[in-house]
Amino acid sequence: MTADDHIVFIVDDDERIREALDELLASHGMRAAAFASAGDYVGADKPDVPACLILDVELPDINGLDLQKQIAEGDHPPIVFITGHGDIPSSVRAIKRGAVDFLPKPFSDSDLMAAINAAIAQDRETRSQRAELGALRQRYLDLTPREREVLPLVVSGLLNKQAAAELGISKVTLEIHRRNVMQKMAAASLADLVRIAERLEIPVTHSRRTGGSRV
Amino acid sequence: MTSIWSHRPQLLHLALFVAAYVLGCAFAKALRLAPGTNISIWLPGGLLMATLILTSTRSWLWWVLAGCVGELIGQFLFFHSPLPAALLIYVGNVLEAVAGAWLVNRFCGRPVRLETLQEVLLFVVLAAGIAPVLSATVGSATLEWFGVKSQTFTTAWPLWWIGDATGILIVTPLALVVLQNWRRDAELSGVRWIEAWVLALIFLGVAVLSLSGYLPFAYIIMPPLLWAAVRFDFKGAAVTLILLGVVTAIFTISDASRFVGDPGSQREKQIMLHLFLAISAFSALIVAVISRQHQVALATLRQRERSLRELVETLPAQIWCVAPDGALIYFSQQFRDFIGSSANDGDGAARLWGLLNEIVHPDDRGTVNTAFAHAMAAGEPCTLKHRLRRSDGEYRWVETRAAPMRNSEGVIVQWNVICLDIDGEVRAEEELRLARERVARASQAASLAELSASIAHEVNQPLAAIVANSHACHRWLSAEPANLERAKITAGRIIRDANSAAEVVSRIRALFKQSTKTRNAVAFGGVVAEVLDLMAGETVRRRVRIDTDIESPLPLVALDRIQIQQVFINLMRNGVEAMDRTVGPRVLTLRVRRTADAIQTEISDRGAGIEFPDRIFEPFFTTKDHGMGMGLVICRSIVESHGGRLWEEKNEPHGAKFIFALPVDVKAAA
Repeated sequence: MTADDHIVFIVDDDERIREALDELLASHGMRAAAFASAGDYVGADKPDVPACLILDVELPDINGLDLQKQIAEGDHPPIVFITGHGDIPSSVRAIKRGAVDFLPKPFSDSDLMAAINAAIAQDRETRSQRAELGALRQRYLDLTPREREVLPLVVSGLLNKQAAAELGISKVTLEIHRRNVMQKMAAASLADLVRIAERLEIPVTHSRRTGGSRV
Repeated sequence: MTSIWSHRPQLLHLALFVAAYVLGCAFAKALRLAPGTNISIWLPGGLLMATLILTSTRSWLWWVLAGCVGELIGQFLFFHSPLPAALLIYVGNVLEAVAGAWLVNRFCGRPVRLETLQEVLLFVVLAAGIAPVLSATVGSATLEWFGVKSQTFTTAWPLWWIGDATGILIVTPLALVVLQNWRRDAELSGVRWIEAWVLALIFLGVAVLSLSGYLPFAYIIMPPLLWAAVRFDFKGAAVTLILLGVVTAIFTISDASRFVGDPGSQREKQIMLHLFLAISAFSALIVAVISRQHQVALATLRQRERSLRELVETLPAQIWCVAPDGALIYFSQQFRDFIGSSANDGDGAARLWGLLNEIVHPDDRGTVNTAFAHAMAAGEPCTLKHRLRRSDGEYRWVETRAAPMRNSEGVIVQWNVICLDIDGEVRAEEELRLARERVARASQAASLAELSASIAHEVNQPLAAIVANSHACHRWLSAEPANLERAKITAGRIIRDANSAAEVVSRIRALFKQSTKTRNAVAFGGVVAEVLDLMAGETVRRRVRIDTDIESPLPLVALDRIQIQQVFINLMRNGVEAMDRTVGPRVLTLRVRRTADAIQTEISDRGAGIEFPDRIFEPFFTTKDHGMGMGLVICRSIVESHGGRLWEEKNEPHGAKFIFALPVDVKAAA
């Protein structure tokens, strides 16, 4: 793990806390970026690397919990809350909305670092999944229109001749298309292709039985 | 003219009047004893005067005319005077009646009731004394002028005057009073009727015997006459006087009367007869009016007594009276209804104390008895609130006030006691007090919690920075090679943040110093009592006994009640918590005593004692698992802001003792 391959964002209105956390993270060899308010954080250019957000609940412009709600729609790093006087309802709300941890001040070095590491690991995982999905989408976009028609029929489990009948083409032509799809989508087997289609959320429009009844 | 016509009396009344007038003339004729005179007791004069007094002046002309008719008939039938003389005599009679009526109306007020002695005396002087002068003068002059029976003015005048006066005395008041009051009084009871008949018989007997000369003295009639006047006032007097007149007339006519004598003394006798009747009538009138006045006064008194009693009975309070020796004199009906049948035995003081013991709530009995005994011994009024047993057995809160009633010498003759049912109010007050207590407790807890939260926040920020920096520093120093530069920077930050934490604490101190304006002079005992009350639940739960030794009385101290209570609670809670693991008896001792210029409070526990006596007053120093290390700091701040001191000592044989002294004169806080 190097300093460049992840980053910790800190949002706290108290400068002493920002400084201290910055220092502590530096001593752990981590890169940190500190912001005094939620507005500053939202508006800042952030590097596209696995990250973690240390968020103070009491902020001058907007409550940390409200910020969490706001950024929930988009992609955002996992959040570790810190608070001067944490109450149970706030912590429950924060955790329910996916916060990694909720640490009352003063917190120990180990608790904080554990939370940060967990958050970054979680983000890394999310990111890799997101990247994988992006690659699959790209492959799907590379298919020809006819191949994109063939794919749902194949993953729906139709026999080649059934799928060919569905599209009004010969069985041989369909088999060529199918081979191309498998190749382009980098699917090792039909089962693999089905899994990929699932991740891409390609709807299964035909079942073999309904297809069969039409013949 | 029309107004006179419209005021004409009823014909029947006029006819009755004429008849009565003629009858009066006949009576006069019957009693005319003295030879050579036709002057006698002149009842028609009294009749006319009474009529004029009773009627309005506008109808007087009619009555005068009717009287004239009666007079002429009388003269024609009995006296045979020449017509001009008769008319002149009648003019004198009218003058008399009009003068008398005017004077009586003028001075006795309308309507003439003759109910006071003053009215009766005025009537006698004006109507019976002055008015007859006119008729006597005119009449006597007429007699002399016309030479009727050769009477002279001087011989006729006195006889005329006294005759008219007697007539007026007998007829007028009776006519007035009887006509106006006959129906006013209630019906006579059976016993009274018997008495009336017996009296009438006795009266008749005495009258007959005395007037016939059998009894030596005519005035022996006075006792029964006065008896009638006393017992039956005007009615009695009227009936007896009429009876007396009739009896006199009968005897005179039959020549059996003692007032009938030889012609020589006849004139004198006639005067004696007139005098006799006049005096009888006068006496009866006076006695009757006194009797009436007395009865009216009695009735008024009874009426007043009844209304007073009604007032007392209907007052929305229970009233009772006690003699100075404790004998129960009077219970109002409401009080009777309230207590039911209680304490009817014993007498004197025993009854009062018996009653109190029976109806006062057992818990209040001591106070009530003491208060009553003290009030009765000192002769001072007293007020107390206590519970009283109602007849259904329920105890109700009442306010009892007792006050002595003294006679003109200042000696207490009776104690008047009033009980007001204040059960609803007392219960509402109690509810309110409990509610207030709950609120106070809640706000006390809230203020402590709030304070803790804000202190926590204020202190946590620098603390969090300190912790983070310390870890960073530690890591820089442990790195290979150690990064001394960064470690130095972080150490500097640690110092800075620690100082800012310390500053928070001094800011809190300053906060307490500002609270001087909320200070009031309060009874220290009350503050302590409230604290004990607040701590009661907790100490019971933790099985700690609180021994108190509180000097009394304690002077007033100017303090912020809530803050001082927080000091108490903090120190006591520390003591209680210190004894959590104590095996022996868990006793927290609270001692409050007065020193030269301060009130000193000691709170000692029997716990393990203080391990670090030098550090316990430092901020954030705590030996408790969840302590913040601020309690004693705040306590000391509060006490010092009150100009006092807080310190700790070793408790003997073991445990800790915290002592704080608050100066009695806390004007300027340190």
